[in-house]
Amino acid sequence: MSAPATSRFAQFKLVLLGESAVGKSSIVHRFVKNTFDELRESTIGAAFLTQTITIPETDTTIKFEIWDTAGQERYKSLAPMYYRNANAALCVYDITSRVSFNRAQDWIKELRKQAPEGIVIALVGNKSDLSDNREVELSEVEEYVEQYNSEATGGGSTIIIAECSAKTGDGVLEVFNRIGRALPVEEAINAAGGRARQAGGRRAGGVDLNRPRAQAQQGGSCC
Amino acid sequence: MATPISSTPTATSSFSKRERRQSMAERRPSTSYTPAVIPHLAGLETPQEMSPLKLEECDVVIIGTGLSQSILAAALAWQGTQVLHIDNNHYYGDSSSCLTIDQLKKWCVDVNQGKFNHFKDAQIYIPGGKRSNKYTSRDYGIDLTPKIMFCQSDLLSLLIQSRVYRYLEFQSLANFHVFENDDFKQKITNSTSKHDIFTDKTLSLITKRNLMKFLKFILIEEEHVRRALVKQYSNRPIHEFLTQEFKLEESQINELVYSIGLCNKQETTTKEAVIRIRRFLSSFDCYGKFPCMTSKFGGPGEISQGFCRSAAVAGTTYKLSTTMTDFDPVSKTAHFSDGSNIKVNEKIIISPTQIPKFLVPSYQKLTESLPSYYITRLITVVKRDCKEWMDPPQSASAAIVVFPPHSLPTDNESAVQVIIQNGDSGVCPEGQSIWYSHTCEQDLARAKRDLECAFEKMEMALLRGTPGTIPDVLDDIDLFSAGTTPMADSFKLGSSLANFMPKEKVEIVCKVGYVQQTYINPDLSNVFKANPNNSITCKKVPTGVDDEDMIIFGNMPSSELSYDGIITNVKQIYARVTGTDDDFFDVDFEDDDEEMQDHQQPQQPQVNQSGQVLGGIVGGGRMDEDAIDEDVIEDDSDDDHKPFGVDQMEL
Repeated sequence: MSAPATSRFAQFKLVLLGESAVGKSSIVHRFVKNTFDELRESTIGAAFLTQTITIPETDTTIKFEIWDTAGQERYKSLAPMYYRNANAALCVYDITSRVSFNRAQDWIKELRKQAPEGIVIALVGNKSDLSDNREVELSEVEEYVEQYNSEATGGGSTIIIAECSAKTGDGVLEVFNRIGRALPVEEAINAAGGRARQAGGRRAGGVDLNRPRAQAQQGGSCC
Repeated sequence: MATPISSTPTATSSFSKRERRQSMAERRPSTSYTPAVIPHLAGLETPQEMSPLKLEECDVVIIGTGLSQSILAAALAWQGTQVLHIDNNHYYGDSSSCLTIDQLKKWCVDVNQGKFNHFKDAQIYIPGGKRSNKYTSRDYGIDLTPKIMFCQSDLLSLLIQSRVYRYLEFQSLANFHVFENDDFKQKITNSTSKHDIFTDKTLSLITKRNLMKFLKFILIEEEHVRRALVKQYSNRPIHEFLTQEFKLEESQINELVYSIGLCNKQETTTKEAVIRIRRFLSSFDCYGKFPCMTSKFGGPGEISQGFCRSAAVAGTTYKLSTTMTDFDPVSKTAHFSDGSNIKVNEKIIISPTQIPKFLVPSYQKLTESLPSYYITRLITVVKRDCKEWMDPPQSASAAIVVFPPHSLPTDNESAVQVIIQNGDSGVCPEGQSIWYSHTCEQDLARAKRDLECAFEKMEMALLRGTPGTIPDVLDDIDLFSAGTTPMADSFKLGSSLANFMPKEKVEIVCKVGYVQQTYINPDLSNVFKANPNNSITCKKVPTGVDDEDMIIFGNMPSSELSYDGIITNVKQIYARVTGTDDDFFDVDFEDDDEEMQDHQQPQQPQVNQSGQVLGGIVGGGRMDEDAIDEDVIEDDSDDDHKPFGVDQMEL
């Protein structure tokens, strides 16, 4: 098995948001697929996608547990479960669509209502390869974020701005690297209490359904 | 003996097995980037256009996102059915929602205005209002129909098999207290081995021996011997069986029947009670020294959301705040409140709280002949962590308190069952707890009195533990063995005494009461032996078009404290839609490579050779005489892990 190359490990939940057809899933699939040969791709069935990045400066491996909207955003039908314990949100718009940028701002408002405090938000313009048809200038986005940050009260989360192209792959990995650097890695490692490879934040008294006692005992008999 | 309906297509089924549609995996070949065994994840890969609803047709419409409809949606979606799942509320969960306090306030108003069929008499009390009673509504997740999960149960197996457990967190529940002679006892249920029972000085040697004899009978007795003995008592009350065959005394019987068995009535039959007691004992030690679990952040409300997400991943379309306004059975066109319409190829499945107006008369007609049962609930959020009921206090987040029949000053005829969950389970802030109590008493005035009385007893128990009422000498154990007060049996007072404020009322954040109606018998008999005469889900709904069987009405949640019966009921509907339940969630997720190397392979303990998921008092027909033993025996006859140290039992 591929042990992480680094000595520290943290896992975070990242949720995708944005209007339909802005390319939320494509960005994630580019992120996950592009690195298929170098790193292990893991698709957890019906649950979510995962991908791992390494941050060399801090000697840390970060595993993203990526929740796609699964289409439930289409009719504004995302469940509270979706936002619960999310550490990061990738809020995507299409640089060729002003409407999608307005929608992305609505999603950020929704995040402030529903998501945990301190969530890392990345406001990402997709389809940077189509800059000829650009409707949303990066300067406007910067202006919006500045406005947002000044309004955010009491340790509100700051927003990462980026553009990328899921089609060409430009800037995709960089988005996740920047999110990774913004995440509270130390806190997560401390919260996990030394239990490596366990999602941060699981409390005492939790039951690990991957570890039934019956099997543990059978496994022990082979020693 | 009735044939369990879940294993045979119903007479009214519109498919024969030969004509069944292909499964999702067959119909939608996987795409290049995913391993071949993973079906195409339609919801993930092909986002559709924004509202209004732009689907032209679908196979099945499900109305209501309650737990059973959500499981059904996911099962159908993974089988390849195109599902449209709507709810007329703006939140998920329907009758099994998990609500914030503000949502609950609105819900109570709506109930009293008759907006939710099958709910009535809702009352909510928030002392001091929001100004003096500071609370943040969204810190609370209050389940309308709270439930606990046995570690050996069909729903847990399904959660694992479907991978939906990955959206959830589970916490152990090991504390079961039974109220008796004005005291909360926990003799058998806090024993994790034979040793504990034998070292309990308050039990006589004879009692211990009788108790062990009974536990051995339940857990390791030869199948035919057990069946023969149970059959002799079959429909006679469990009390007779336990006193005559095992010479057990009232105190042990109460605990076995009402706390371990979670039975409601004194008249509970031997057959039913033995199954229920066995359910507890065989669930013990599957994942640790506890028989049950609760899901964090909410019970059925949370699990429904998980299944809805799973359904969405498999391509189900979700739209909340939407009702069906009309349906034309000739063109099979359904109309919705957002002005859209859609062709429905196969079935419409409807929650009893969300019956479209045009179907209300036929629903009333079909349910006329069905006996209905009331469940009265009282939910209180208290400003206490209630660690007194939890052991070990540092990690336990939930407990069960049971008031057996005739144990309360109101001389209650039905048991009052209470789930306590504190802030560690994510349903309320730290330092607070939610007390979910309910009774199946059919006289509603009595039911409310019983619940209030049980609440007072619990409140008093907390207050009695204040420093002013106990002796100065605080030995670790046997605090009250001299008889000053009979409290200390189950309360670990030693460490938590400091937190008690003397002569203080237990502070309340919010208190909610309401009455729910269901057509499911509290003994679940008309789920396990469902037929068109006793179950609404088996009844054919006339559409005005000859032989057209398109509409299925669902069931309200039962009074059962566990999730038992839900999967059986969902499978009945599933079989009515697809023709068989053989492929119910028969999806092979060959993923988790990484996880499997890190951990062991996820357990699928109750999947037997035919692929049927078993467990608890479940698996169609488990209530049958013949079925009592078969599956249950099989479940642990070859287990290494014998709860209660039965492998060392000597008599």
